[in-house]
Amino acid sequence: MNSPMGDRVGNQEDIVIKAERVSKSFPGVRALKEMDFEVIRGEVHALVGENGAGKSTLMKIIVREYIEDEGNIFIEGNNVKDLGIRGVQKLGLSLIHQDLNLIPMLTVAQNICLGREPVTRFGTIDWKAMGLKAADFLGQITSEINVEDRVEGLSNSQQQLMAIARALVTSPRILILDEPTARLDQKTSDSFFLFLERAKQKGLTVVYISHRLEEIYRICDRVTVLRDGTKIITAPINEIPQTELVKYMLGREIEQQVPKESVPIGEVKLSVRDLYPKEKGKDINFDLKSGEILGIVGSIGAGKSEVARAIFGADPKQSGTIRISGKEVKTNAPHDAIDHGFALIPEERRDQGLVGNESVRKNMTMAALKKKFCVGPSWIDQDKETAAVKTSIKTLGIATPSPEQEVQFLSGGTQQKVVVAKWLMSDSDIYIFDEPTKGIDVGGKYDIYKLIVDLARQGAGIIFISNELTEVLSLCDRILVMFNGQIIKELETQASNREELLFYVMGGRDYAKTVNDL
Amino acid sequence: MQKQSMTSKDIINNYGATFGFIIAIVVFSITSRGFFSGLNLQNILVQSTSLGICAFGLTFVLITGEIDLSYGGVIGLVGAVLAGMLKDGHSIGLVTLVCLAIGLGTGVFNAILIVVLKLPSFLATVAVMFLCMGAERVYNQGITTWIRDQGVLSIVQTNIGPVPALVLYLFALFAICWFLQTQTKAGQYVRALGENINAVKEVGIRADLLKFLVFVVAGLIFAFAGYIETLRIGGAVMYAGKQLLLSVLAACFLGTATFKAGKANFPGTLIGAFFLYTLLSGFTALGMKFYLVPVAQGLILIISVAISSVRRGKIEQVQF
Repeated sequence: MNSPMGDRVGNQEDIVIKAERVSKSFPGVRALKEMDFEVIRGEVHALVGENGAGKSTLMKIIVREYIEDEGNIFIEGNNVKDLGIRGVQKLGLSLIHQDLNLIPMLTVAQNICLGREPVTRFGTIDWKAMGLKAADFLGQITSEINVEDRVEGLSNSQQQLMAIARALVTSPRILILDEPTARLDQKTSDSFFLFLERAKQKGLTVVYISHRLEEIYRICDRVTVLRDGTKIITAPINEIPQTELVKYMLGREIEQQVPKESVPIGEVKLSVRDLYPKEKGKDINFDLKSGEILGIVGSIGAGKSEVARAIFGADPKQSGTIRISGKEVKTNAPHDAIDHGFALIPEERRDQGLVGNESVRKNMTMAALKKKFCVGPSWIDQDKETAAVKTSIKTLGIATPSPEQEVQFLSGGTQQKVVVAKWLMSDSDIYIFDEPTKGIDVGGKYDIYKLIVDLARQGAGIIFISNELTEVLSLCDRILVMFNGQIIKELETQASNREELLFYVMGGRDYAKTVNDL
Repeated sequence: MQKQSMTSKDIINNYGATFGFIIAIVVFSITSRGFFSGLNLQNILVQSTSLGICAFGLTFVLITGEIDLSYGGVIGLVGAVLAGMLKDGHSIGLVTLVCLAIGLGTGVFNAILIVVLKLPSFLATVAVMFLCMGAERVYNQGITTWIRDQGVLSIVQTNIGPVPALVLYLFALFAICWFLQTQTKAGQYVRALGENINAVKEVGIRADLLKFLVFVVAGLIFAFAGYIETLRIGGAVMYAGKQLLLSVLAACFLGTATFKAGKANFPGTLIGAFFLYTLLSGFTALGMKFYLVPVAQGLILIISVAISSVRRGKIEQVQF
């Protein structure tokens, strides 16, 4: 590299990525705090941490998709301050995003060569050369994809492999992979790891973001643990036992005040048997009792939401039976599920659960309007409606100046309560909360926990999907851990802890044995 | 992996409007004596020229995922200036340059509103359409201006060999557009940015600049359409663009139902334009009451697009 000498990083020729005291804030969030990070030539370097620890942000800064607020980044000794996306690509850096950023209606070849199409001597695209070029790069990973196929027809696994092939087009010397195996099935995982082995032998440097312990220990040389936007430790992987790694990721126990109280648990309310959601997941079996709060945890792409959506009828199922109090019911569409007493409080409440520019009143009574507040064919009994809304606001403690307030101006936690109020009014008794506390401040979270416990006390069955292990552990009676579309472990909360839970979330096997081995 | 062969259902989904077009030609040919004659078919081609040309401009914009309705005003404004300046005795060379400058100017203006200021393209270009209509009205004071100069009119009202010049212009522009879109990098990126702009930015392509250029090119093509339309009619009629507003849109959307289900594309737009005029001509030849023709056109448009939308529909997820 013929870079200006002033930018050289001392004598450490072999440090290919060096981040010095990098800080980055987004509105309301300090994503990175004076982060240091180093990657050595030729290694596979694992980057781990809980959701929101700053892994993806750091990588996006390194490839110049984000610009840091403070700090310096050097790629092979070159300060990247003034380089754009293309500039760092020229230095040999390539990032494969977690969301792959593909163009569905173009062919595999067009996607792989996007931005680097071979041209004929007339300056037009050389389609034949493009096909060969794409096939060449794709062939380094898999032989199962036809470059002429449109991307929209590929499976998730194939799309992931294709995205990797696309990153190879720039002939990178440093490859950054953000959760590459979240989308891969078993078979494609193997060909992916074979590719990594070969790439490593050829001297490629890899930064590997993953939530899966097994993989990290299988392929990585060193590991860096991030937590809350700061680096906790960098060390050779074989010097850190798995349980130790998990501890570094979690850090100190942060006590969260969750109104834990024991609610009497009743009969089995919901039974899911042999459920195969069409989107993701297989062989899902579980029971939910009345008064019980059942947690479902798992990393991104584990299939939690897909299971919820399939039960609720929002996504199609391949097969499976759902019973309520022993009686089989069909939930082929959300309205079927609602008729049977299901309520799904979706993750994206602003898109899916609420009409933002309508009043609290209208949002609350939306689902129950016809059942409860209609006179004749479609007249609304407004007195009755208003009375019910006022009662609901009071019992749920919804912080709104009036029932006529537009919900978009309420806080996240309050909005969440409005969604819940909507389902309460339509007499639901099986609630599925999908990441209900995501993006909600501490006070709001507390209220939501309290509300969920109240629902349980009234005899509802509750499925609580979350990525935040602390809240799951303190709120739920039982926890199902999903990994790669399957339920791999069922834990009784009382007999478990954060380390064990995270261990299984990351795809670990047999916690007790691993701990004993140390 | 094996390449899948197309089922008959796929073919209908992908080429629905093409089938509609062929069926329409066959039906009209059988049922009406005058329809399938050389003269009538040539007429259909000639009449669909300015619509087709204008629709090519719109197709470029639709491919990027935006819309540009400013042609509804640009065509009329260009026509008024063309006829008016010729009447005032300016040379056709100068007048042609001014017409193209109008297209360039409106194109750049649209691009600034949409790409730089990030206004929604539908509203921004409708506003520009009204601005152009206003300018047209101010310029010609609401009077139809005819062009008397036969030399100028012969730019379009002539045959080159056996073929009308207009038809050649249409096919030449089609060839250029199609070539740009399918054979050049810029064309690829325009398509790609309409599908997923992040993917394009991620590989370091200046997506915003490309989008800007697309609006400018579209403006130029709209001006060309106005130029051709005015010379074909032989004068500038008030609000000529308004006449074309919905047919151009219809041609493009019929086009999306023609080759690549749900996506704007040039061959589709070309066939869409012919299809519209075929229907018009066919219904007239059948002796259908003139006020029923739009009804029949509307129904056929719905059917063609519905066929292709079946495929798109299955992609959409159920929201609740």
